Amino acid sequence: MESDLTHKYIELNMGPQHPSTHGVLRLKLTLDGETVKKVEPVIGYLHRNAEKICELDFYCDALIYFDRMDYVGAMNMEVGYLEAAEKLLNIEPPERVKWIRVIMAELNRIASHLVWAGAFGLDLGMLTPFFYVFEEREKVLNLFTEICGSRQETNYMSIGGVYQDFNDKIIYRIKEFLDEFPKKLEEIYNLFVKNDVFISRTKNIGILEPEVALSYGVTGPMLRASGVPYDVRKDEPYLVYDKVNFTVPISRKKDVLARFIVRFEEMRQSVKIVKQALEKLPDGPYFNPKARKSLMIRLRGEGDVFARTESTKGEFGVYIVGDGSVKPYRVHVRSPAFKNLSVLPYLSRDVLIADMVAISGSIDLVFGEVDR
Amino acid sequence: MNLLTRIATILSFLGHYPAYILAYIIETLIVIIFATVVVAGMVYFFRKYMARVQMRIGPNRVGKFGILQVMADGLKLIQKESIMPQGRDDLPYKVAPLIIFIALIMGFIFIPYGPLAWLGTLTVTHSDVSLVILFALIAIMPIGELLSGIVSNNKYAVLGSLRGVAKDVSFEVPMMLSVLAIVMMASARNASPLDLNGIVQAQNIPFAILEPLGFFVFLISMAARASYSPFDMGESDSELVTGNTTEYSGLRFGMFYLGLFGTIFLGSMILSTLYLGGYNGPFVNYVGFIWLLIKTLVIVVISLTIWLSMPRVRIDKFVSFGWKYLLPISFINLVLTGFLVLGGIS
Amino acid sequence: MIEVKEVEEPKRIPILGSIGGMYTVFKHLFQKPVTVQYPEEKENQGDRFRFRIYLSTDDCVGCTLCEQVCPNLTITMVSLDKENPRNKRKIYPSVNFGTCTVCRNCEEICPTDAIYLKDVFETARTKNSFFYSPTDLEKNEDEVRR
Repeated sequence: MESDLTHKYIELNMGPQHPSTHGVLRLKLTLDGETVKKVEPVIGYLHRNAEKICELDFYCDALIYFDRMDYVGAMNMEVGYLEAAEKLLNIEPPERVKWIRVIMAELNRIASHLVWAGAFGLDLGMLTPFFYVFEEREKVLNLFTEICGSRQETNYMSIGGVYQDFNDKIIYRIKEFLDEFPKKLEEIYNLFVKNDVFISRTKNIGILEPEVALSYGVTGPMLRASGVPYDVRKDEPYLVYDKVNFTVPISRKKDVLARFIVRFEEMRQSVKIVKQALEKLPDGPYFNPKARKSLMIRLRGEGDVFARTESTKGEFGVYIVGDGSVKPYRVHVRSPAFKNLSVLPYLSRDVLIADMVAISGSIDLVFGEVDR
Repeated sequence: MNLLTRIATILSFLGHYPAYILAYIIETLIVIIFATVVVAGMVYFFRKYMARVQMRIGPNRVGKFGILQVMADGLKLIQKESIMPQGRDDLPYKVAPLIIFIALIMGFIFIPYGPLAWLGTLTVTHSDVSLVILFALIAIMPIGELLSGIVSNNKYAVLGSLRGVAKDVSFEVPMMLSVLAIVMMASARNASPLDLNGIVQAQNIPFAILEPLGFFVFLISMAARASYSPFDMGESDSELVTGNTTEYSGLRFGMFYLGLFGTIFLGSMILSTLYLGGYNGPFVNYVGFIWLLIKTLVIVVISLTIWLSMPRVRIDKFVSFGWKYLLPISFINLVLTGFLVLGGIS
Repeated sequence: MIEVKEVEEPKRIPILGSIGGMYTVFKHLFQKPVTVQYPEEKENQGDRFRFRIYLSTDDCVGCTLCEQVCPNLTITMVSLDKENPRNKRKIYPSVNFGTCTVCRNCEEICPTDAIYLKDVFETARTKNSFFYSPTDLEKNEDEVRR
């Protein structure tokens, strides 16, 4: 069978250095002319051993490695790790911190989805929207610089608190951004979905049935675009997501276009969440005194915990085992992009190369997270 | 009075025939220089326009406003080592970029440039069939595209040229049919409908108003000919690396690059000549050439905006679009034109 | 019960929608570019922006907490011959900026605030010269040898 394939079909390597494979994905394609017969994703080019390194450091230090997993949605990674670590170390963050974390996570969700939309446009050959989304994202990152002191890998949150508190100027600037952003978002959205060629490239492409999606472990916007209303923020609320009012967008069209629309609707919901959170933001301390700075390296945890959060890509799970020392015994990460990638060979059987690129673009791959 | 006789009068001390031969050569050289400058300017204009549309600044380091950037890039490409793949078919590999570039530059010779002040009419060729020659030259360019893909021993390049050929086949028939409608329209008013100059003179009403369908078909065909974004299947930037030009580097790549931008400009010029009345406009005897340039520039801006705002069409969709929509539309256009001509539109 | 909103595909008119997109793109021609021409103009970095690590050797007590908390061995303690009654062991942190991730843990944990970060970020170096000795960390960026 194998030798038969090589003689009859073209074998083509896409990546790891290729303009359409986000980061360092390598796809081994077996082509019959333009039609893709088989896709074999090869990963591991960005493997940095993050899980193992986390075992060698204190609980507070592991955060920078989580920042670098999903580097476009770093805040969500921090939230995910801290959910687990705080449960293990028995440190409850103050109420104000929870709201601040929600605000940061949702702002970062906006930034991450914007980057995805731009990159997806580039995959399909749209040059210009990329710059518009990056300009909007830049505004979010400027907010982060204002709040956290750095742009992308912020290391903003710490165990039992956040790095520095919100002040009036920051709240004013976030509100300013939220007032302008929806208009810009609609402009970018219309630039994509009103375009006939864009619709023809995405509609009825890469149909992912909900049963298949569930059996592959697909989560996040991809699953919701297949019509399954599963969102950890609603199903198992963490932080204060049960106190804010938002809806979970789903679509029953199951195709690439549905994934696009669901992600844009999620951005609108994020704007809604941040607005509510800014109104409800309570006063109080911004860190738990049990985890104050001088005790940073003396936190000890025992037992094992698993915490799941809704990152920008899907369900992000963190499993930590502590053996009573100051360092974790084992850290494991359930990365959503990795699980979502596993469905690519199924989706891109007997499609054209152009469709394959659109499908792999719609998964929202960030290779820091897939390879860890 | 035209440019040819102007030059010949200046050179008249050589005798009648040598003066005219020399004048022809000089005029052709002028046009070739014009074409090269225009193509380079086109690259600069594209980069600047793209940058401003994307809220960037664009080239601004080399020379004032970055005007010399194109020259710097050209020098860089010239002195770069041309890396050639092993297992290539040597002669076609080297000839392919030349075919595209030469066909493009020669295309500029047949455009009726119109009169400009003291210089008179700038048209170089006074052939009666310049329309036919022009489209024959344009039809040569796909050969370069095809050759470059299949001989460079690269799977991406082969796939790119396969797509390019499929694209070329599907739009050229509708394009020629819409040109045929132009010829019909011109023949009702003019004795020499195959001469581009005659077509321009026949347009006291621009043909774009008389045949909007033909204009639409021709616009799409010219976009597909130049192969920029909605129709850049040959290149397919994000899928096939750069398609048929994947294995080219140095000056040969530069030729493909200039060929792309030159084709956009040439296509816009042909479009404004055939459909927008060419050099016609107020004070035609003094500034006709300027009118042509203005019209061309408008078309270029429209083309670049299309380029920058559209994703790539999937190749099978474009082929079916070409045969299922463009071809019937161009036939309908032909029939409608027939009615107009019979109805005595002239 | 989860609040679910089924998103609809947008209504659009063929061709006109694309032309609207083209118009949006064209409209941006008249907007101001957002590019910051870096060496000539510099963006305002915000109050909390931090990058370069500074050290005050007079305050440092040589407790090695910063070395312990540093996630990736950026900070290593080196001995330095300096009279400081509070620093009996005469060891001070040195920083390899090639690996620094600016996590600011050292600043937070330092008991005497001897190690702190400032918003200086132009620390470009040639390869293998990212290592800053304790005396280098005291100086300003332009005084450090390249």
